[in-house]
Amino acid sequence: MASNPDAVAAIAGAVLQIAGLLAVAPLLKTAIKKMKARLQNRQGPPLMQGYYDLAKLLRKETVRSETASWVFVAGPRVYFAAALAATTLVPVLVAAAPLEAAGGILLLVGTLALGRFALATAALDTGSPFGGMGSSRDMTIAALAEPALMLGLFASALAAGSMNLGVLVRSLVEHGPSWHPSDLLAFAGLFIIVIAETGRIPVDNPATHLELTMIHEAMVLEYAGPDLALVEWASAVKELLYLTLLVDLFMPVGIATNLAPGAVAVAFLAWGGKVLLLAVAVTIAESTNAKLRLFRVPELVSISLGLAFLALAIRFL
Amino acid sequence: MLILCAAGMLVSAYLMVGQKALFTAIRLYGAQSLLLGIVAATMAISEGRPELFVTAVLTVALKALLIPWFLMRMVDRIGIHREIEPFLNVPASLLVCLGLTVVGYRVSTGFEAGARGVSHHLIGVAMSLLLIGLFLMVTRKKAITQILALMTVENAVFLVAVGVTSGMPLIVELGISFDVILAVLVLGVLVQRIVGRFESMDVSRLSKLKG
Repeated sequence: MASNPDAVAAIAGAVLQIAGLLAVAPLLKTAIKKMKARLQNRQGPPLMQGYYDLAKLLRKETVRSETASWVFVAGPRVYFAAALAATTLVPVLVAAAPLEAAGGILLLVGTLALGRFALATAALDTGSPFGGMGSSRDMTIAALAEPALMLGLFASALAAGSMNLGVLVRSLVEHGPSWHPSDLLAFAGLFIIVIAETGRIPVDNPATHLELTMIHEAMVLEYAGPDLALVEWASAVKELLYLTLLVDLFMPVGIATNLAPGAVAVAFLAWGGKVLLLAVAVTIAESTNAKLRLFRVPELVSISLGLAFLALAIRFL
Repeated sequence: MLILCAAGMLVSAYLMVGQKALFTAIRLYGAQSLLLGIVAATMAISEGRPELFVTAVLTVALKALLIPWFLMRMVDRIGIHREIEPFLNVPASLLVCLGLTVVGYRVSTGFEAGARGVSHHLIGVAMSLLLIGLFLMVTRKKAITQILALMTVENAVFLVAVGVTSGMPLIVELGISFDVILAVLVLGVLVQRIVGRFESMDVSRLSKLKG
């Protein structure tokens, strides 16, 4: 296996991509926070705050509940690993995913689901009421968001005739965007999913610790120190991953088709710009909406499910 | 561009179905009309028909600005900001609308077999909008949402007129625009009468008026 140069290149690419996304992810999270603060006429945290927070958490001592079992310990690790594994399936700068031979959309959604499962069971493990509440809420939303995510991705996959994200993006680059109405429907659906999955405001409020609003925060309430750092870092990577996915599928402009340094540099700038653009959209959505009541969240997510289904149906009609 | 705007109109219609706050619904209607205006303007450029610009400007001025403003003022004056109970809950309405869209698209394939590509999608979107508008009109209790639904249906008809037959004669256009304004004004007065009598916009209470 190691003698095969393709495999070596793929693994090297995967490592590079993981490292790169890991490095950028906290920046994105802080950037959104900062833009939000600016919209509210506040200063906001410095751009490096995400890194400071992670460094602080990693230096701290681990505190675990006495009743916690290995599930609690494994939770953040599996969550982190799943997020990293998922990043290797998505093309970022070059129109090919490092480990695209391993699988396509289904594997991506499955990996993310594995991470979510690990975190939700870990939250149940200590028996604290908050953890159970958080995981039940997260699962309620996931039950609707996951099919919507899949349908939305399928709608794009249908145009390219492949479920493999690398092939999909290459065909997009080759033929250009299809300007099909289902593109916009799928985009609208997936955008709502991104907001739901990354715990942003109409669905979840990332900035509070109020029991009425918490979803993600309730699940990770029991974690401290390096464990918490892993969870937060993985969440940031997941957020960046979702935005990259949207960029890949609906705005494939500027992505490099070969490994020439110039093309990759352009692709890096283009990718950064497009992700920032989406981050601005997320910020605006966060700032102009109020947090929905929990019982209204399934309605919002079912709208996106509807849009994604429609995107798929219109491809056939 | 055309198709993306049309798809955007469809998205706004769906958000309207899932919406409970009246203000947001009205804004969505405004956005929908703005997209319609863009469709008209794009047609004017691509078909080289400058009179379509008049249509575009009229659409944006009336439907995207004036009518939403009027409806918002009315909501403000009445002081009822939420539409509480539709006859069908949101997920069920969404399901029905999905079905309606599929039907709309399916039906649109029957129109002139030659019309493929762009106009196929335009007719499809317009048909779906029409059906969703009708559905909204039937299932919502509040008078203002019913007005919005009626205007959605009107938008759909306009979309076909502009997108497929590349516009009606200007005089017809102007006539329809004034018709729409009058309709909204009359309906607005009607809503205020209903509110004045029942202290609610619930249309189903009108059945109490039986003699």
